Amino acid sequence: MGKLADALVALDKNAALAATQEALQAGTDPLALVNEARQGLEVVGEKYDCGEFFLMELMRAAQIFQSVAQVLTPKIVEAHGGVKTSGKVVIGTVAGDIHDLGKNIVKILMECRGIEVIDLGVDVKTERFVEAVQKHRPQVVGMSALLTASVSEMKKNIEALEAAGLRDSVKIAVGGGIVGEIDNSVLGADLATVDANEGVRQIEQWLTA
Amino acid sequence: MAEKMTPFERIEAAYRMEVPDRVPVTPIICYMIPYLAGLTIREMFTEPERHVQAFLQFRDLIGDNCEPNILVLDHLSMLGRAGWDQVTLDWRIYDKFPPDGNVPNLYEKPIIEDYDDVIERGFAPLLFNKKLENRVWTRSVDDFLYYQYEYRERWARAWREFVEQTGIPLLKGGRACHPLDLLQYYRGIFNLTMDIYERPDKVKQFCDWVWEYEAYHAMDIAMTMGAGEVPGADVIFFINGGPPGMSPDIYNEFYWPYAKKMIDTFVNRGFKVWNHWDNDHTPFLETIKTVTDGIPKGKIVMDFEKTDMKKAKEVLGGTVCIAGNVPSALLVYGTPEQVDAYCKQLIEDCAEGGGFILEAECEVPWDSKPENIRAMIQAAEKYNPYR
Ligand code: B12
Repeated sequence: MGKLADALVALDKNAALAATQEALQAGTDPLALVNEARQGLEVVGEKYDCGEFFLMELMRAAQIFQSVAQVLTPKIVEAHGGVKTSGKVVIGTVAGDIHDLGKNIVKILMECRGIEVIDLGVDVKTERFVEAVQKHRPQVVGMSALLTASVSEMKKNIEALEAAGLRDSVKIAVGGGIVGEIDNSVLGADLATVDANEGVRQIEQWLTA
Repeated sequence: MAEKMTPFERIEAAYRMEVPDRVPVTPIICYMIPYLAGLTIREMFTEPERHVQAFLQFRDLIGDNCEPNILVLDHLSMLGRAGWDQVTLDWRIYDKFPPDGNVPNLYEKPIIEDYDDVIERGFAPLLFNKKLENRVWTRSVDDFLYYQYEYRERWARAWREFVEQTGIPLLKGGRACHPLDLLQYYRGIFNLTMDIYERPDKVKQFCDWVWEYEAYHAMDIAMTMGAGEVPGADVIFFINGGPPGMSPDIYNEFYWPYAKKMIDTFVNRGFKVWNHWDNDHTPFLETIKTVTDGIPKGKIVMDFEKTDMKKAKEVLGGTVCIAGNVPSALLVYGTPEQVDAYCKQLIEDCAEGGGFILEAECEVPWDSKPENIRAMIQAAEKYNPYR
């Protein structure tokens, strides 16, 4: 791994930004740098999975990745005429629920893998999910839910997508604390997980299939 | 076995880690009861007498054998309405404070941008910032004074009468938040994480500045509630366990020192402390074991949410009373049999030798099944290790 990836794993933002600038000045392709940062974040993800890193550390690594991406994105547009994305995901926390830490982590992890994410925010009413799918035509819809009351909201959203004739055009992934504590088969989602890494891996598979 | 105790005696025994007549059980049903009684959250806070009536009306739900713990989370209430608390809590979804519905919405809101400014000038400039909180700006002096003085007393009177009528103690008198908790509201957890890494000294300066204010505010409210006279009013409910997923380094540097300082302050002034700590504190149990260092034992309850209760008993047993942790999801979606089985296991894991209170994870969800709450309370009767 290069300096940039190392800095990410060390959760050192200044070092990560310095390594980025240095490499850009040396003429390194910004795309290669994004890939390196991605590698670093993946290592952090693995360390989180095995309990070596804690949630705040994962969140911190995601923040550092975001800062690096902010520097690199315009350079990529300059060098390659645009950012190539590998698919589109609409994500939001369901109506009545404002918990968004998990959703935001998943969002950054997806962006880190070159997925375009349309984030509807929190307390997202059913109509907004349906409208967003109609408007953006994503391949995947992600929903986050932590309240017990959010379970029926998830169901409602999936039914509304069905009623609007959109269900077959998307895969549906649900996550967030409550998902880990109920019988997911009642939801009718394609994936239910409380593991961000697993979720993002599956979504990536859907997008490349 | 000890002779039959009153709910108050039972809780007291648990605090002291003595063996009570059975395991005390204290589901926090402050939202569920108003919900069942058809009261909105707005009504339960503005009209404490109706809230009390609702509890009386639903006594058959809890029976005579529960020690609840008529806890009213005043960080959701208006006891702080005259002070700066109000700005910090945005009841977002209902756009009204408090909301008309039954979801106790608290929301994080990054109202603090400049730590130095807050440390220097206090919260007043935020409180009276029209952009941040129009409602505070438009309030009349009468309204302000009402909440500062009369409302508090009205609130305290309603609950004192409840205790006198039922013999059920209060779970708490005052409420205090950990400084990191306050920051999780005022900055948001995402920003707070950034601050901890990018300007750790500012975070600590803020914590150094705010903890005392918070602690004294809590003790003040507890005095209003009748600490020393009304059973349970001398308890400070200390929430909320900080942001989720702290690393041990962050815990030791930013969380624990302030937690310990506040707990010491309460206990040294004669209060008891109910540490209502959300999230998983399992990695920090050895640190928590030092909670009674330098202060008298028997004054503290560690009320855990996602913490591993069996491990907590292993590490903390004999040092401090623990309480927990029937899952919210189980109370809503489970069956009474499942709740019963869960409680049985908890009692097996944690009750030996005393120092355990059967409790939900956090407050009981408003949409729980009443029969599940009953199952929880009955489990404490049914599985009695002290018999
Ligand atoms: C932090 C927190 C808050 C913060 C939220 C801050 C924020 N910006 O999100 C604040 C303080 C504001 C808050 C408010 C409330 N909360 Co709260 N909160 C928590 C707490 C402690 C942690 C949640 C959390 O952030 N976990 C960390 C994240 C990262 O985990 P996660 O969301 O599960 O995400 C992971 C995975 O699930 C997955 N994932 C998540 N989303 C998605 C989506 C997809 C597509 C995929 C693939 C994966 C995925 O990836 C993440 C990383 O692995 C939990 C209890 C707990 N320990 O879990 C209670 C909890 C969720 N809260 C609860 C409650 C009740 C409330 C309140 C009603 C207030 C109250 N009285 O306490 C309000 C609710 C307001 C509302 N309308 O929603 C209850 C909900 C149970 C219930 N009764 O329904 C809980 C469970 C506490 C409890 N045990 O009772 N809360």
